[in-house]
Amino acid sequence: MAEGYVEYRNLRKSFGGLEILHGVDLTIPEGAFAVLVGPSGCGKSTLLRMTAGLENVTSGEINIAGRLVNNVHAKNRGIAMVFQSYALYPHMSVEDNMSFGLKMRKTPLQLITDRIKRAASILKLGPMLDRLPSQLSGGQRQRVAMGRALTREPEVFLFDEPLSNLDAKLRVEMRAEIKALHQRLKTTTIYVTHDQIEAMTMADIVVVMHDGRIEQVGEPLAIYDRPANLFVAEFLGSPAMNLIPGTIAQDADGRCVQTEAGMRLPLDSGAKGTVGQKVVYGIRPEHLQLDPAGDLPIRLTLVEPAGWETHVHADLGGQIVRMVSTKRVAQRAGDSTTAKIDATRAHLFDAATGNRL
Amino acid sequence: MRVQESGPMALLFQRLGPKVLIWLTLTFLVIWTATPIIWAILSSFKDPLEIYESKSLLPEVWRLDAYRKVLSMPGFGTWLMNSIIVTVVATIVPLILAILAAYGFARYAFKFRHVLLLLYLIPRIIPRVSLIVPLNDLMSDLGLINTYSVLFITYIASAVPLATWILVGFFGSIPKEIEESATLDGANMWNRLRHVMLPMAWPGVVTAAVLCLREAWNEFSFVLALVNQTDMRTLPYQLYMLKDSMGIQDYAVYNAFTILTVLPLLLVYLLLERKVVDSIVSGAVKS
Repeated sequence: MAEGYVEYRNLRKSFGGLEILHGVDLTIPEGAFAVLVGPSGCGKSTLLRMTAGLENVTSGEINIAGRLVNNVHAKNRGIAMVFQSYALYPHMSVEDNMSFGLKMRKTPLQLITDRIKRAASILKLGPMLDRLPSQLSGGQRQRVAMGRALTREPEVFLFDEPLSNLDAKLRVEMRAEIKALHQRLKTTTIYVTHDQIEAMTMADIVVVMHDGRIEQVGEPLAIYDRPANLFVAEFLGSPAMNLIPGTIAQDADGRCVQTEAGMRLPLDSGAKGTVGQKVVYGIRPEHLQLDPAGDLPIRLTLVEPAGWETHVHADLGGQIVRMVSTKRVAQRAGDSTTAKIDATRAHLFDAATGNRL
Repeated sequence: MRVQESGPMALLFQRLGPKVLIWLTLTFLVIWTATPIIWAILSSFKDPLEIYESKSLLPEVWRLDAYRKVLSMPGFGTWLMNSIIVTVVATIVPLILAILAAYGFARYAFKFRHVLLLLYLIPRIIPRVSLIVPLNDLMSDLGLINTYSVLFITYIASAVPLATWILVGFFGSIPKEIEESATLDGANMWNRLRHVMLPMAWPGVVTAAVLCLREAWNEFSFVLALVNQTDMRTLPYQLYMLKDSMGIQDYAVYNAFTILTVLPLLLVYLLLERKVVDSIVSGAVKS
């Protein structure tokens, strides 16, 4: 795996006087499935469109396969893109949609036929090659959009929120299909989404973006387990991580975090930070559990049984926290009980900077 | 009172009332529009005197005399050909110019785009009558009076803004992503226009074509002002001249001439009616 197949160096983008991307530095290795994730307006789609050549670069560099492509026309960048709205040509059949790019590049007819056959077989589009996009379901249209990209045999696949228009069930199916497709083709892929579940499940590399900056880059579970700052901690994970402000204190059992309401939250012996330091204590909902032998008094405010797991909202010293339990919960909203925190899974963030300690 | 209101008659009126009103209005409008046309068609088959004397709307004997008279007029073929030539040119050329202009207006961001688009409307905002004298002077100075060129120039100048405005709406309603997708597929501007934008805006193109065609075919004031030779007249012009040359009493010939003038346009309308109505409706509801 060669390093730096797609590289961004100090990449900036402004629209008029408004800077959207504030100097992005990122390296995506060859064959990787990189997911750009972040809330709306964070600049992830702009970054993707700049990669595609649909937006100009204000300053900085974009390199694809070692070639600076800032001024290379979109059609010559060796990329294919799947849009959120599919962007199929509605007046063309599925086959014509898939062959249009090849015809524009004056590809020999036999090669076009071969590639369409191959793409249709991979994506199970064979029986619908003669149909118009309007005669297809949402999932089939998305597959045609992927087929169109596939026939081009690009060096890099770009996906711009391709599953947003699908219903929940289909989204899960297509997620698996796209991932399987990548595992089969091993083509470098950049995938934009605001859905952190998609990011976690599909990515080799997750790039968390916020306000035109990259907050953290890494493997999905590595980011999940060690979020670099409060934004990443809160953004990745559903339900989101519980974040409780407090101060590092010393008690008989060692260090802990004392909340504003006087609750004492346990800390692992290896936790960083100094006594007296203002921090934000982070604990994921699955690491905070209802436990009759626990030492944190809580009052349940909402119990949401989801079948395979139960989501519990509770009041912990004046702050609402969320818990996820794989066990059935017998208590109801309004009940008072106790909970226990797995201190080894607690996260500490500096209250002033928001960065991980 | 309450009992009366909810009685069967009241309920029937509540249910059918609005429908009856709509049907009555539509029937009235159809009669209002169609009566003169039906009268013109029927009386074109009558004897000229019968038109004044007979109280029946239908002809006593269906005669084709008036049509024979019209078709045997020495200049009819020339006037028909003039109308066809002018209409074909004044439909195709504005359409091509409008497609290019509308694509530019709809897809390219440039300074004063909206102002230019508004300025584009000037030829249609200024009353045509007020243009006739200066146009006549100008074209006389250029030596273009009594030529096809003068009709081409004026008709095209009048039709381009109309077609452009229609097409800007249609091109503008095509999602940008589809064109971007074509760009990534390797299509240059011409290919995008030809293979993606035009087929998708086809209902709009047909609508613009029909409206240009109708305008050119029916045009009267320019041809009246800029042409004075008999062999350069178009059908509407000749229809107007017919009144003087034939005498107003020969309504059968007058109506037969009218029907023959309207017929080609009517045929085009009938052929394209569904497409035009669909496109007007779709244009109206697109966001």
